[in-house]
Amino acid sequence: MNSNSSDFEALRKLMALKRHEQPPPGYFYRLPDQIALRLARGEGQERFWEKFFNQFTFRPALAYSFALAAFSALTLSVVYSVRTEPPETAQSSGNGWQSGAEAEALANQSNLSEPLHVANWIGTENSSNPAVALPSLFDTGLHHSSLQVKFSSP
Amino acid sequence: MHTKAELEKALAQPAPEETVEIEEIDDLELVRRAQKEDMRAYDVLVRRYQERVYGTVYHMTSNHEDANDLTQETFIKAFRVLKSFKGDSSFFTWIYRIAVNKTINFLKQRKNRTQISLNDVDFNAENDPDLVALVSDKTPRRDLSLSELQEKLNAAMLKLSEHHRMVVTLHDVQGLSHEEIGQIMDCNVGTVRSRLFYARQQLQGHLSDYLK
Repeated sequence: MNSNSSDFEALRKLMALKRHEQPPPGYFYRLPDQIALRLARGEGQERFWEKFFNQFTFRPALAYSFALAAFSALTLSVVYSVRTEPPETAQSSGNGWQSGAEAEALANQSNLSEPLHVANWIGTENSSNPAVALPSLFDTGLHHSSLQVKFSSP
Repeated sequence: MHTKAELEKALAQPAPEETVEIEEIDDLELVRRAQKEDMRAYDVLVRRYQERVYGTVYHMTSNHEDANDLTQETFIKAFRVLKSFKGDSSFFTWIYRIAVNKTINFLKQRKNRTQISLNDVDFNAENDPDLVALVSDKTPRRDLSLSELQEKLNAAMLKLSEHHRMVVTLHDVQGLSHEEIGQIMDCNVGTVRSRLFYARQQLQGHLSDYLK
């Protein structure tokens, strides 16, 4: 590397040109006063969060440790919340839809002697099934008016 | 008969003998005083190092306005954290380190928004025998002016990475030793040498037309 120092002699001479680049006249006379003025105004005082984040700027290891700790805490909280989920939320969603076991029990309790009326499934006013009472995305007023249902005695 | 304002003004300004004295005080003593909020001591430190700090920042940014802002911010930041200065290194190294970190952070943020705003070349350059020889004999265009050469040189510098540019600036322009640069840039001397070698190779490639 030292043997090449002579190769760079011309470059070093050229670089010397940069030493002759000077700021506007009087600049260095005014600069200390400008700095003193800004200091007197209280500029440059770091706030709490700036100090906090500056810690990480100068110490990447600290930043990585903090990120790792935060990620671990998040992962643990997610795992813990999944494991301690209440059992009732898993069995019934509570929005009117029954799970398989509940639907079966309901079916056994219902009176099969009564005929099933189509109106019970598509009707809205007297329906006891909350799911039927819910508005359907495919329901239109035209569809309701055109359907004719005949009642028959058993 | 002096007015109250005139008396206050006279008291605020140091006596001429005192000014001479304080300017002869070494850095460590000035730092110790500045740590006790002595603004006059800090003012002397600013005046002592402003040209070198400004020069370093300017040669890194190739922009006077940016260099002005960064130089002011360097001295403001240094004053705010002056109490953390323990004297393990010289004040000169310490203030340079702040300037270097600020400049490199600034350049990383600016990245693709480079605007050159060069200072004028002083009259001494025209009398510099090395430069006269370069301009008149070694360049392919003999009518190449100093300002044109200055632009080419700065454009070539801006093509270097921040760390390579910093090493060239501190060594070839500012004249610091490898050891001082290592302390300022927080790396060993071997790294400084290899960066300098690589940076010069790059510059030689970019400026080959002017170095024949």
